[in-house]
Amino acid sequence: MNVGNGPSTDPAPLLKAEGLSKAFGGVQALYDVSFAVDAGSVQAVIGPNGAGKTTLFNLITGIFPPDQGRILFAGDPIEGMAVHRLVARGITRTFQNVELFANMSVLENVLVGQHVCLRTGLWGALGRWPRVRKEETEALARARELLKFVGLDDVARDRSGDLPFGWQRLVEIARALAARPRLLLLDEPAAGLNPVETASLGELLRRIRAQGITLLLVEHDMSLVMDISDSILVLNQGRKLAEGTPREIQKSSAVTKAYLGAAG
Amino acid sequence: MQELLQYLFSGIANGAIYAVIALGFSMLYLATELINFAQGEFVMLGALSFVTFWTGFQLPLGLAFFLAVLVVAAFGVLFERLAIRPVRKPQPITLIIITVGASILLRGIGMLTWGKDSYSVPPFSHNEPLVIGGAALLPQSLWIVGIVLVLMVALQLFHKRTLTGKAMQACAIHRQAAWLLGIPSDLMALLAFVLSAVLGAVAGVIIAPITMCGYDMGTMLGLRGFCAAMLGGLGSTWGAVVGGFLLGILEALGVGYISSGIKDAIAFLLLLLILYARPSGILGTQAVHRF
Amino acid sequence: MKRSHVRTLIFLALVLGWGAFARNPYHLQLLAVIGVHTLLALGLNLLMGFAGQISLGHAAFYGIGAYASGVLTVHLGWSPWVAGPAALALAAAVALVVGLPTLRLTGYYLGMGTLGFGMIVYVLFREWSGLTGGASGLVGIPPLCLGPIELSSGRNGFWLIWLVVLANFLLCERLIDSRMGRALRAIHDSERAAAAVGVDTARLKVMVFVLSAVMAALAGFLYAHMMSFISPSSFDFMVSIRVVTMVVIGGMASVWGALFGAALLTMLPEWLHVFADYEMMVYGLILMVVMIFLPQGLTRGVMDLYERWQRSLDRSRPSAQS
Repeated sequence: MNVGNGPSTDPAPLLKAEGLSKAFGGVQALYDVSFAVDAGSVQAVIGPNGAGKTTLFNLITGIFPPDQGRILFAGDPIEGMAVHRLVARGITRTFQNVELFANMSVLENVLVGQHVCLRTGLWGALGRWPRVRKEETEALARARELLKFVGLDDVARDRSGDLPFGWQRLVEIARALAARPRLLLLDEPAAGLNPVETASLGELLRRIRAQGITLLLVEHDMSLVMDISDSILVLNQGRKLAEGTPREIQKSSAVTKAYLGAAG
Repeated sequence: MQELLQYLFSGIANGAIYAVIALGFSMLYLATELINFAQGEFVMLGALSFVTFWTGFQLPLGLAFFLAVLVVAAFGVLFERLAIRPVRKPQPITLIIITVGASILLRGIGMLTWGKDSYSVPPFSHNEPLVIGGAALLPQSLWIVGIVLVLMVALQLFHKRTLTGKAMQACAIHRQAAWLLGIPSDLMALLAFVLSAVLGAVAGVIIAPITMCGYDMGTMLGLRGFCAAMLGGLGSTWGAVVGGFLLGILEALGVGYISSGIKDAIAFLLLLLILYARPSGILGTQAVHRF
Repeated sequence: MKRSHVRTLIFLALVLGWGAFARNPYHLQLLAVIGVHTLLALGLNLLMGFAGQISLGHAAFYGIGAYASGVLTVHLGWSPWVAGPAALALAAAVALVVGLPTLRLTGYYLGMGTLGFGMIVYVLFREWSGLTGGASGLVGIPPLCLGPIELSSGRNGFWLIWLVVLANFLLCERLIDSRMGRALRAIHDSERAAAAVGVDTARLKVMVFVLSAVMAALAGFLYAHMMSFISPSSFDFMVSIRVVTMVVIGGMASVWGALFGAALLTMLPEWLHVFADYEMMVYGLILMVVMIFLPQGLTRGVMDLYERWQRSLDRSRPSAQS
């Protein structure tokens, strides 16, 4: 089945950050960070606590604008754009602590995820014309398909807030996929998962990538990062420390130093 | 010129009262991030208790003032303990409904206790207006401004000089960190409630001689106080003062130069304007939550 | 058949039964007033229950509907069928102006903004006596007529109002069970996550605010032409609080709760004659007690249990469903 837009043939980088800086009060959270994510690749961002990973994530997902620098998505500047507009352009995200619509069913969560793909407005909702019904039927079928894709079709009608944490994370990924994203940002997707769950998450992310969706993840779990990433960006104290393939990063002495401390 | 001065005099007296009510909102918001829709009812209870103690029981002015404030402070304690503390999920909409419920309940209590009549009390001292620059200044206005200034200084000293005051500010800045340092944040919330009730009561007592006091006087005063707090920036002490005086003077000018019917509308229009243009207020530095 | 259809049919049967068998004109009038209140509560429930935003000045929109239609028919001699839509449009425009700045901020500001708005509109009704008749009210509002048939009083009035209520019920259910309704419920659960799936939360909140204002204005329009007389006291602050109480009792986020809350709070004063003096205290206590101990409202608590039971039934026979 196909949950994305099909493999991208665009050779230019899908996401490009140029000289991003952000300060909070006197604290320089991010300083002059540039990087590019190729379409169809898996990009990981790692770094010790306080390295600026979350700040970078929030800049790209539109939570706040950068002080300096540009963010280009498919060639268009997107810095400072409202969150819901980014989704319409094809950038969706998951949250570190999982934010589901807890009182809604699993299926409804995925239906809400399709918000930007559907067109029913106020009048359509009240009138429920044939076109609206057709759209609704299709949305329902697609939601079921997505749940099958992440392996949760058995619990479609359960209240999402009642699911175990690992499943909630999968619901959130299905919800993020529902918007037919070109770029999916995952904020520590392995946090709170056991090793078995992490392994199957890695397998799921690989299948998502195979659909032509570009992935950018901030992650602490090195086994997952080394396993699935094409390219890794290492941040330390708000600056770019290194960038390269998993193999290159593993060999880099600067990275080892930053993680183990200068004295180590 | 003389006209303008006259409007300014009446605006400053009202403004001082709005400033005190605004301070009540601000203090509570700083310590608990709560906006108490019953703040205006504290003003009403303060005014009507004072009417009873002073003209009803013929107590001395100072004692009546003190007792009125004490009664309202007791309401503040009960309110926090019975209605705010037990809430399990303190979302804004839940707290709004609870404090609105409390304001209606307090109004009902006011109506049952004092009836639907309005009361007036004589001013604190003699009633001969002072004439300055051709404009009349009521001695009660001097009382009001004087008491408000003393209150401001006392509050400022409390915040800057006492351990409790500093602890309260610490709670406002970071509740969990303050808790880790051993500051009892529950107690601080209670204290903030009592202080804001006391501020409301003081506003009620000092406004009593220049207005008609009835069970329904609180809502509009509360709204004006909130507007003043928003004008100056919610959570800012000096903002509340500036906002209060600004609102009082603008109201007086509006009534004087446009029409008296517009008085009630001014606070609301200013509120809308400030929400549109600058939600953090004139002096506010705190980010107002947008999303 | 879907569960919602069954409920609608039962509801319809009950209303038809009431209408057909009620003889006493006083009862008919009471039922019509319950209908008007249900409409008000239904609109506010969309805002409070589904979007999680509050309005403490809903009586203002109720009043705008009543007064705009009243003034246009009495002073300008418009037909009620033209004045009504004009009144609704006015309410929508006013809601847009008030809602735009206040809804962009968190709940407290909307609460205070709508509270102030309600006060101002009330003062306007009372003071603008040239137009509204001032405190003594506006008299001689013509009844709604369809050709020779008068639709505003007695049994016909009852039919008309409940027809409108029923239509609004269906529309609300449709709205909630649609893309827009899902987005609304999503905002209520997590505004952050709703934005992250592409919901324009600010725009949607304003839209619901306007919709709920229009429903309140519709209630006002029906009320004005039914009573043929309106005065400011029918639209004061306590009326706003009464509507909030109806929604809170009925349970937020429950379309049926609105009916229950409206019926209960309209009948209560009729049953309890001592109620008048204690009205404010009773409402205040209801609001506080329900929000502290049963934040989901009475009906929602029961509905939750019922739905959980339904789901457990569904799961025990997994192959039976489509």
